[in-house]
Amino acid sequence: MDSGFYAACTGLMSKTQALDSVANNLANVNTSGYRSQRNQFSSVLANASLSGSSPLNLAVNNYGVLGGTRLDMTQGSLEKTGNDLDFAVDGQGFFAVQTSAGRMYTRSGNFQIGASGQLITAEGDPVLGEKGTINVSGGKVHVGADGTISVDGAVAGRLKVVDFAPSTQLQAVGKTYYSAPPDSEIEAKLASVQQGVIEGSNVNAVTTAVELINVQRQAEMMERAMSLFNTDLDKSATEDLPRVTT
Amino acid sequence: MFRSLYTAASGMSAQQLNLDNIANNLANSSTSGFRSRRIQFQDMIYQNMVTPGAAATQQTTLAGGLQIGLGTRPGVSEVVQTQGEFSATGNPLDMAIQGAGFFQIKLPDGQMGYTRSGSFTQDQQGNVVTADGNPLEPALTIPTTAQSITIGSDGTVSVTLPNQIAATQIGSIQLATFANPGGLNSVGSNIFMPTTASGDPVVGAPGGSEGLGTLQQGMLEQSNVNVVDEFINMIVAQRAYESNSRVVQAADQMLQQLNSVGK
Repeated sequence: MDSGFYAACTGLMSKTQALDSVANNLANVNTSGYRSQRNQFSSVLANASLSGSSPLNLAVNNYGVLGGTRLDMTQGSLEKTGNDLDFAVDGQGFFAVQTSAGRMYTRSGNFQIGASGQLITAEGDPVLGEKGTINVSGGKVHVGADGTISVDGAVAGRLKVVDFAPSTQLQAVGKTYYSAPPDSEIEAKLASVQQGVIEGSNVNAVTTAVELINVQRQAEMMERAMSLFNTDLDKSATEDLPRVTT
Repeated sequence: MFRSLYTAASGMSAQQLNLDNIANNLANSSTSGFRSRRIQFQDMIYQNMVTPGAAATQQTTLAGGLQIGLGTRPGVSEVVQTQGEFSATGNPLDMAIQGAGFFQIKLPDGQMGYTRSGSFTQDQQGNVVTADGNPLEPALTIPTTAQSITIGSDGTVSVTLPNQIAATQIGSIQLATFANPGGLNSVGSNIFMPTTASGDPVVGAPGGSEGLGTLQQGMLEQSNVNVVDEFINMIVAQRAYESNSRVVQAADQMLQQLNSVGK
């Protein structure tokens, strides 16, 4: 078969995956602390100067594929809830959480109090302070901009708000948790903690809707191209050409 | 079939639930002492097609992973604790709490319930009860001969009796707070029950330093539902539902075209 058929087929597959990630962004348009995913397309051949490749070979085999997804780290809108245990990170930073699967990071600060008085996430995992878990039982909780938690005026601990080096790749694991490679945490210098507010999703409805249309139309083009190879070229080759020679 | 079909379906059912919650908030926009709820959504699991930071070659790692999320799911619906507006009623047994406290109500099964609705009346014995007939805790009985009732901002209840100039103190009202009122369990009739998420009630006299708030006699706290906000939320929910259904359409159209390839 013509390599163009496979190129179009690969293009269609990458558009299908792109649709999956657009669908996930739109499904999470109301998920607090959600970071939207951006698609990155790349050519399948990482290096265009492969030895022994002819320019023609490169031109027909260098298909576009969905190379990866990146987290969009822009700030989501802050929504006031009035609950003393709702926190939001204003700026660059994440709350650190201790889960059964290791340390996770989240921007979704709708915290609660666990059975033993610890500050926990909505999932029930303890939220980490600078010195381990934070006990917030038995009084009115107040949080300063630097993350210091006081209960009835007595300091109970300081929320661990961390940032990551620019090259760090966070991995989304669901439940609005993100995991990071070990030892990649750095101190969050450009973050402040706000009490009584929750950060919404940072999915931009406009750009996502535009992306949806793009994906749909590009998929349509790939399907046209596949049809073209199938009907106009291959059909001619298998049905019309034999007729000419006989 | 495309994952996006199911992802979009999860988004649609999430917005449907969101709308159910908004409908309940709006339906209770004139329920005194009502606390609106807010649904928190979470993202579902991800399929890692390329793990972020995987090795590209022996020397280099990939600049980004390829993770496809599988949609959203509702997490918790927390009770929003903003203060409702006050309206003056002039009824001596109507009380509003200016602060974070809750009235304690003894329920028929002996359990303690908590409410922000300060609309109390007297039963035939003079006990101070809610509109449902459940007594306020600590119990308060107004003498049948009382001519006027005064409730101080610190919860002190005093009455004037016939032929007496000085008021007689007959008891005091205590309030309760919770470390995490967002985790309270709504059981209807304006009653909240404590849970492990909310923490145990901390009981004290109003006006103290515990942040219980002060009492205002002759006032009622209205619902804390902000109708404007709820309308905005409704528009967002409706549009988000629409965008998710657009994804279903797009996926369906792509499948349809794919089926026609080779015809």
